[in-house]
Amino acid sequence: MEDLKRTLKQQIIDSLNLQGMKPEDIDDNAPLFGEGLGLDSIDSLELMVLLERNYGIKIEDAREGRKILSSVQTMAEYIQQNKKI
Amino acid sequence: MAERVVVTGIGIISALGTGMQAHVTALRNKQSGVKPISLLKTRYANDFVLGEIRMTSDELSAYAGLPVGDNGHTRTALLSLAAMKDLLEHVDIELLRAEPFAFINANTVGGMSKMEDIYMDVLRPDTKQENIKYIDTLDCAESTERVVNFYNLKPFTATISTACSSSSNSFILGARMIKQGIVKRAVVGGGDALSRFTLNGFYSLKNVDKNLCKPFDQNRLGLNLGEGAGFCLLELESDAKARGANIIAVLSGYANTNDAYHPTAPSPTGEGAYRTMQEALAMAGLETKDISYINAHGTATQNNDAAEGLAIQKLFGTNPPPFSSTKPFTGHTLAAAGVIEGIFSMLALQEQMIIPNMNFETRMEELAIQPATELVENAGLQHVLSNSFGFGGSNVSLIFSKP
Amino acid sequence: MTMQPLYIISACSITAQDTYNRENFLNPVRSIDDGRLFVIDPDYTKYINPVAIRRMSRMLKRGITAGMRSLDEAGIKTPDGIIVGTSRGSVTDMEIFLHELIELDEQALNPAGFIQSTYNSVNGWLAMLSKCTGYNQTYVHRGFTLELCLFDAMLMLSEAKEKKHLLAGAFDELTPEYFTIRTKINYYKEQLPNSLNLYKHDDSTGSIGGEGAHFFTVSNDPANATSSLRSLAMLQKPTVAELQAGIDNILKENNLDKEDIDVLVCGMNGDSRTRSLVDTAINNCSANTTVVNFKHLGGEYDTASGFGLWLADHLCRTQLIPSEVTCKVGTSASVKNILFCNTTIMGNVSLMVVTSVN
Repeated sequence: MEDLKRTLKQQIIDSLNLQGMKPEDIDDNAPLFGEGLGLDSIDSLELMVLLERNYGIKIEDAREGRKILSSVQTMAEYIQQNKKI
Repeated sequence: MAERVVVTGIGIISALGTGMQAHVTALRNKQSGVKPISLLKTRYANDFVLGEIRMTSDELSAYAGLPVGDNGHTRTALLSLAAMKDLLEHVDIELLRAEPFAFINANTVGGMSKMEDIYMDVLRPDTKQENIKYIDTLDCAESTERVVNFYNLKPFTATISTACSSSSNSFILGARMIKQGIVKRAVVGGGDALSRFTLNGFYSLKNVDKNLCKPFDQNRLGLNLGEGAGFCLLELESDAKARGANIIAVLSGYANTNDAYHPTAPSPTGEGAYRTMQEALAMAGLETKDISYINAHGTATQNNDAAEGLAIQKLFGTNPPPFSSTKPFTGHTLAAAGVIEGIFSMLALQEQMIIPNMNFETRMEELAIQPATELVENAGLQHVLSNSFGFGGSNVSLIFSKP
Repeated sequence: MTMQPLYIISACSITAQDTYNRENFLNPVRSIDDGRLFVIDPDYTKYINPVAIRRMSRMLKRGITAGMRSLDEAGIKTPDGIIVGTSRGSVTDMEIFLHELIELDEQALNPAGFIQSTYNSVNGWLAMLSKCTGYNQTYVHRGFTLELCLFDAMLMLSEAKEKKHLLAGAFDELTPEYFTIRTKINYYKEQLPNSLNLYKHDDSTGSIGGEGAHFFTVSNDPANATSSLRSLAMLQKPTVAELQAGIDNILKENNLDKEDIDVLVCGMNGDSRTRSLVDTAINNCSANTTVVNFKHLGGEYDTASGFGLWLADHLCRTQLIPSEVTCKVGTSASVKNILFCNTTIMGNVSLMVVTSVN
């Protein structure tokens, strides 16, 4: 799980082009959207693409996606239960 | 008071058919053109529904009067030519040659419907000869120039691209040029053909409903795409009367504003949409009670319908005039949506009917209002408001009035 | 068409020369041998915040920065309207989305390329950053794209009853793929010369490629203006006789004789197919007229006339004509009246009369 979270953080940094950030700068439980990392709705779509491309997880419903993408912790838990790759 | 600009000719093609009469019949009979995919080549052919025009590009070429086969015309250009042909069945082309006129077209992705099929070949050193004909068609002005050249016209030409409000903006530019005396007449409108590019674009935004779209419904899941084109002839009321033309409607008000809020999403409170409708009313010298029907943008996306619904409620109150989205009939035709729905607004005036908002079941929880779901005849319509909103915060409202 | 003149309050160009830093834009002169004059990218973080910039392609950053800097230099926080043109929008974003669509067979696509390839995406950003909720329009009409923006601005200022400021401008992008595609339709020369020798090769078809972003803050109020665009004409594929009539007409509209033209800004592109049009424009010059050109510095693209208008305004501001742009020296001592004649690869011509203010 810790490895997964670390990999995931690096993937988030790369895919969203969060220049100057390192995996350790992202807290597992900090909200990714709003006041946390300050990501927006287009970032959330890009994170869904990340899940699909790297873990074979397809999220059709944007509202469901929002819950899964609340934090690195929630993403990692969802990946562990649902990954297909 | 400045002289009024009127609409004296209509040409239209959409999933409902070609020409005004086919559209009146379909709208009246609640016959939707949104169906399972038959023409667009996509891996989602069995998954999505679309408002396709059920004519192949060869059939469209034959209809427009072009040789069939690889004639260098993309489907976007062919739809524009088809709509122009329909317009010219009601308007003498010599009228467009006699005095200065403007041809103002609009589209969102040019000839992408063709280019996405041949793009990799076009990049190769030995591009196939038949593809060279299309090589420069990924350009919004292509369809504009095709129409002008085909009919051997020499107008002032312009092409506009403001996403889903594009062809509504054509009306505004045409009317302004006529009022300033720069041209005597303007043919205004736009068109877009379906492409994998736009289908996948909206799908990547999670904005597409795989089933029939449900505008203004609590359980809406997104839009259905469509294709089409439309053109209208604009001129001053006095000129139209002098030549004894049939006046279809008066373009009595219009407004163009921007949300200045987000690259793709409207302001959640509908502030931009509210202000746009308000400005169009002010220009027309009308009050909210004067509007007897609203043809809403109503894409059935989460964001649009929430923002537009709230804006209608804020401006018109909890007892607004009947409003509906006609996108369940045609699909969202992007650049063509403004002109097609403008034409529907004029047909509503002419036929005195309120067009129903199909597929509606459940009122949205944030709204106290809901769309009109049944056809109303003899509706006593005087003034109709038509909304078009797009990416980039682009908002346009047009008001059409009974002549 | 005689309408309200556009007073140009500020002009910002991002081109293959350092026009962004106006003072030294020709020091040094940049030239290329591969037919592709890519722009010099300035620091984009000045006008775009770090959260917004990380997803943006270069064309977006470029268009937004040129627009915001133009407003900044004019001292206008929020204009009354934004009118932008682009022949092809953000080509890179279109290419990214189209390639992914093809290569990934329509699966798991990133929306950013789709959103940013939308032709009015720079309009939207400029509206957000300048908080402009007013008129917002996008023209996409090949070689007349910038001209339509300026035309709309003139129309809007003619309609206005009060003072207004509008942001008007245009941009286009060159990419390796786009260069390949346009090469196949003779847009560029087969034997590519050094860019500075472009005009020596006007016996062959085609030009050299370029790109740029050009924004102007314009007003119906002459206060703080450096120049004014007095008339604008768009001639669709004119014959030599039609071009001559067009020039006669635009000079007459402004009560100008040939002798009154201090500078002819000529958009010659080295294409043999437009040589007779260029010659027609030059034949209208008197001994007073200095002839200048710019496509050897910025290349040819659908909105290249933005570089020409920027240069016309620059000459009015500085009252100096750099030798690097001069192809014929005239006797006139000042820069008051400028005729700008732009020719495109398609054979379209736009004419503008620009006059210095003060």
